[in-house]
Amino acid sequence: MAPVNLPKTDVAIIGLGAAGGLAVLPLARAGLKIVGLEAGGWFRPEDHLPDEIRNNIRHWPHAVQKANQEIPTARVGRDGPALPRPLYHPMMNGVGGTSLHYWGQSWRLTHWDFKLRSETIRRYGTSAIPQGSTVEDWPLTYEELEPYYDLVEYTIGVSGKAGNIQGRPDPEGNIFESPRQREYPMPPLRHAGFADHMASAAKRLGWHCYRPPAAINSVPFDKRAACFYHGFCGSGGCPVDAKNSTAITTIPQAEATGNLKIVPYAHVIALESDDHGRVAGVRYIKEKQEYFQPASVVLLAGYTYENTRLLLLSKSKAYPRGLANNHGQVGLHYMSHTRNGVMGLFPFDLNRWYGTPAQGVSIDDWSDDNFDHSGLGFVGGGNLQVPMEAKPIEAASMSTFGKAPRWGSGWKSFVKENAGRWTPVWAQISTLPFEDHFLDLDPEVKDPLGYPVCRLTIGLKESERRAMLFMQDKAEQWLREAGAIATDKLPLVPIGLSTHAYGGTRMGNNPETNVVDRWGFSHEAPNLGILGASVMGTSGARNPTLTVQALAWRTADHLIKEWKSIAV
Amino acid sequence: MANSEDKPKDAAEVSGGVGSITRREVLVGSAATLACAFVPLSALAFDGTAKTSSPSAQVLTDSERQTLQAVVSRIIPADESGPGALEAGCAVYIETSLAGAYQSQKPAYTAGLAALNAAAISRAGKSFTFLTAPDQDEIVAEFEHGKKVGDYADAASFFEMIRRHTLEGMFGDPFYGGNANFAGWDLIGYPGARMYASPDMQKMDAKIPHSRLSAEQLMHGSR
Repeated sequence: MAPVNLPKTDVAIIGLGAAGGLAVLPLARAGLKIVGLEAGGWFRPEDHLPDEIRNNIRHWPHAVQKANQEIPTARVGRDGPALPRPLYHPMMNGVGGTSLHYWGQSWRLTHWDFKLRSETIRRYGTSAIPQGSTVEDWPLTYEELEPYYDLVEYTIGVSGKAGNIQGRPDPEGNIFESPRQREYPMPPLRHAGFADHMASAAKRLGWHCYRPPAAINSVPFDKRAACFYHGFCGSGGCPVDAKNSTAITTIPQAEATGNLKIVPYAHVIALESDDHGRVAGVRYIKEKQEYFQPASVVLLAGYTYENTRLLLLSKSKAYPRGLANNHGQVGLHYMSHTRNGVMGLFPFDLNRWYGTPAQGVSIDDWSDDNFDHSGLGFVGGGNLQVPMEAKPIEAASMSTFGKAPRWGSGWKSFVKENAGRWTPVWAQISTLPFEDHFLDLDPEVKDPLGYPVCRLTIGLKESERRAMLFMQDKAEQWLREAGAIATDKLPLVPIGLSTHAYGGTRMGNNPETNVVDRWGFSHEAPNLGILGASVMGTSGARNPTLTVQALAWRTADHLIKEWKSIAV
Repeated sequence: MANSEDKPKDAAEVSGGVGSITRREVLVGSAATLACAFVPLSALAFDGTAKTSSPSAQVLTDSERQTLQAVVSRIIPADESGPGALEAGCAVYIETSLAGAYQSQKPAYTAGLAALNAAAISRAGKSFTFLTAPDQDEIVAEFEHGKKVGDYADAASFFEMIRRHTLEGMFGDPFYGGNANFAGWDLIGYPGARMYASPDMQKMDAKIPHSRLSAEQLMHGSR
């Protein structure tokens, strides 16, 4: 069947998740006509059941998940072993994307993250940059992104306590954060007993504990309810609309302008470009019919893996190696957060059952460049966090801390006593891009349409292992101070697919080493913008979403201001 | 709203019927937040306990089912600490799942259950179901440690899979056929799925009345 040619639109945006679903708002308000192509469908509050099997074990079986048909493969090094391919993609399709069920953690990066390379060299010398790392300073500073962080926080709604307003530190908040222009629009999520217990322990150690920011309502916000703290938030959608996914914030606001047309269940297969190297539009399949959506500007806003894959699949006369890839940079500078943490067992009930993960407490004393790294052999560090919310399968699947067998009556009496007495402390470290960590197309594994899936080539560098061990020691110290009688450190292994995956279309001034410019537009295809963590050049030690959203808004703003030169 | 769960006052809260989300919880929750919040009305009125079920579709042979029942009984036995996996419906959970969401894992079960029986026959000349509990435990332990059974080399991964699925059945939502009478949640002291948790319910020494509703019942009423 021949493709149906649709009428041209101003902007076609691929993916209506945390990034694309955010960018549609400023664009629609500016009067641009937008077509939003989303691989998944809509969800209602009553679809979001407090059901661990459905949310966490089977990853939303009630949803049509294009992503699960094209799960990337992963291998450790070019010649290394393949990692097992999971049954589910870590991210999801749907209007709102994974912002429907993320933890809602909404941190800003710090000024140091944007200048990691130059600041590290300035303080510790060139040799402090790990060998083989391709890290560059970002082409923008924290100060340039700050107004966009603020816009996103006040538009979607973020709860938290400022630790630094215009240079004035406040120990109730995170004193290590970079200056903000004003307080959060909502106070932090409410106190929880065990989180307070961990905060007291941190204080005794002389560490600076704070309640982290979250895109979850601590009080009613913008006519939506405050959190019900029911304990099914991680990988669960919110039945009371208290988690500020783009599906209930920016997307409906953009729709209300009349300028956004959403096409759900649109399976994008390629971006088309003309002989002059401009992007002409998007090819997609919906209900077995192929369509071509012409657009003056295309914004690619899939997840990190799909952004790279779609570019590499979109070959043309102007781009024989894939769209925007004439410099061979698409897929490079890939990195992800590692899975790093320590489990602690206590001799008393913690009562972590309810709440929401972001309701815990965090520590940044050991993150970024907040301490002297001389002789440590790594750059940056990690953010420590104790989350609330312990769902029952997860709780019973606990480590036995070497104290019990893994099944049988001995195990049963162990979990009877201890399933409510343990907690993880997560330690997200700053990871760096390396020349041999990258994304490309798998030479063998294909999706049901016959297109190759994305392939990760990854590893765990010595500098990262050192940082992980360093952070595990800090996490263990914190747990012991709080009364833990046993700890269990997660093994240091390379992880495959991640919900915190960065790079592949890195942002930078140099077109030889970056795919997009400082505004998020391709160095090669002038009317192609890219949104998502795929543009980020460093990971930071905290969850990426707020930074992704601030960057998306900034890219949209740039497009509005420069519409005539970009759209031609 | 202080102490609303520390000292249950409503008869409904202690009756074991509407043990979790009381009318007051919902009203307090919504008043404290916003009147327009989505509140499942069915959760206010529903009275009853979760139903247990037999496999919604049978995909195992009788012999496979018996072996499955025997092995989940060894992973989580019935003992002085309460009902085990069999009593909680974990075999039902697994078979139902193999007919649906875990279809792709059915061949691994067929092979793994056959290998358990092969190991039993070579040990005692009887299929796994008819061995004594200590003999069954020894075979399960061999599987856990990856011992080969003839040509079968997947013992360790089969053990990990069946253990994982048994835990899902024991501690997951009863909607899927396991966790019968909330045996799993009672075992570990999980106070149950509910729509709202008050500040007092998050104190470290909170005494929380156990909710006895599945997610479906909480959100959509009895089905």
